[in-house]
Amino acid sequence: MSNIGDDVGRKTPVADFRSMSKVSVGQILGLVEAVDEVGGVADVATIAREVDMDIDRLGPILNAAEFLGLVTVEDGDIRITDLSRKLLSSSVRERKKIIREIIDDLPAFRLVVDMARSAGAALGREEVIRAIADRVGSHQAADVFNALVYWGRYAELVRYDSESEQLTVRVAPT
Amino acid sequence: MEAPLLEVKDVTKSYFENGKEFKVLDLIRFELAERDFVCVVGPSGCGKSTLLRIIVGLEPPTSGQVLFEGSPIRADNPQVAMVFQSFALFPWLTVTQNVELGLEAQGISPEDRHGRARKFIDAVGLTGFENAFPRELSGGMKQRVGLARALAIEPLLLCMDEPFSSLDPLTAQNLRDEILQLWANPDLPPKAVLMVTHSIEEAVYLADRVIVLSSRPGHMVAELEIDLPRPRNRKEPEFYGWIDEIYSLIV
Repeated sequence: MSNIGDDVGRKTPVADFRSMSKVSVGQILGLVEAVDEVGGVADVATIAREVDMDIDRLGPILNAAEFLGLVTVEDGDIRITDLSRKLLSSSVRERKKIIREIIDDLPAFRLVVDMARSAGAALGREEVIRAIADRVGSHQAADVFNALVYWGRYAELVRYDSESEQLTVRVAPT
Repeated sequence: MEAPLLEVKDVTKSYFENGKEFKVLDLIRFELAERDFVCVVGPSGCGKSTLLRIIVGLEPPTSGQVLFEGSPIRADNPQVAMVFQSFALFPWLTVTQNVELGLEAQGISPEDRHGRARKFIDAVGLTGFENAFPRELSGGMKQRVGLARALAIEPLLLCMDEPFSSLDPLTAQNLRDEILQLWANPDLPPKAVLMVTHSIEEAVYLADRVIVLSSRPGHMVAELEIDLPRPRNRKEPEFYGWIDEIYSLIV
């Protein structure tokens, strides 16, 4: 059986990671749970009604879930993937690990990891934002950076000190 | 016979204004034993938050009493912890510092504080955010900090006052499920949960027992054992049956 999550997002440009900004882990998991509860597939309008959120609020969450390979959206139907089912049956700690495996390979994270490796030191916020801005444009760079910090912390891939604005890449957690 | 964990005995609460009595709660009586997950549900104005404040000793009842392990409850009882709707985090403290705060108040040594904070931050899925400030967290994560802080004091009884109502519906549902995951682990505190909510669906989803209050003054109209197997599916007819029943009791 192919792991549906394997290829998703892997070859996407850094800019696509902005779909991960302004959404939280809890929202994405909540969406997956909601679709699972109605049988694993539902049209967008049904889910919007079920969870009592309009499309403006649901849209970004749906995009992020799709970006991570947790749902597919086709002809207005949301369908959860095998990866979602695995996530739903996992503990809080296992869920972090699964998300880590998904986002670890994303170009946006690779960019930061490679920068940290060649610098051999902590990276300053401005430095990372400049590198991101080269790829996504300056108006989105801060959003992408914040998303990298949020998801990177959740997945235990990065450490960030918002007082000194220093970002470090963590060695693979056990 | 050993005393129940919590006994709420004929609690009544009134406020007096210009010599006139306003009764908020009338003769509330129930008990909590170990491994009870109880929700108090009722419409706004039924005094359910006041009841919770009385139960944790923050406010005295006008009559009746609250016993914890057989003795009158005190607000400084370290066996009782509280999770608030508003999260109640200190914005200038990191996640770890917020969690450690309650332990410091109990005179626990710095090493033990770190160890306990680390354990409960991990249990609620916040490892990686230890040095983050509340402003850097999503709502669901803020409430996880509130939960970690409450659990870190290793309470016997965890009280929660509308813990999900500041969260968006998706985040709320995710957190409910993760709280049930934690609750299913008998190695983790607490021994019992008492939660107040205005959401009937939430009460039926979470609780082993639901105490239904009606308003003005708040009084008990039912105490129901929710015998649905877990995990519960909110789409099943049995689930809906319970919701219908509770609605009909309140309206």
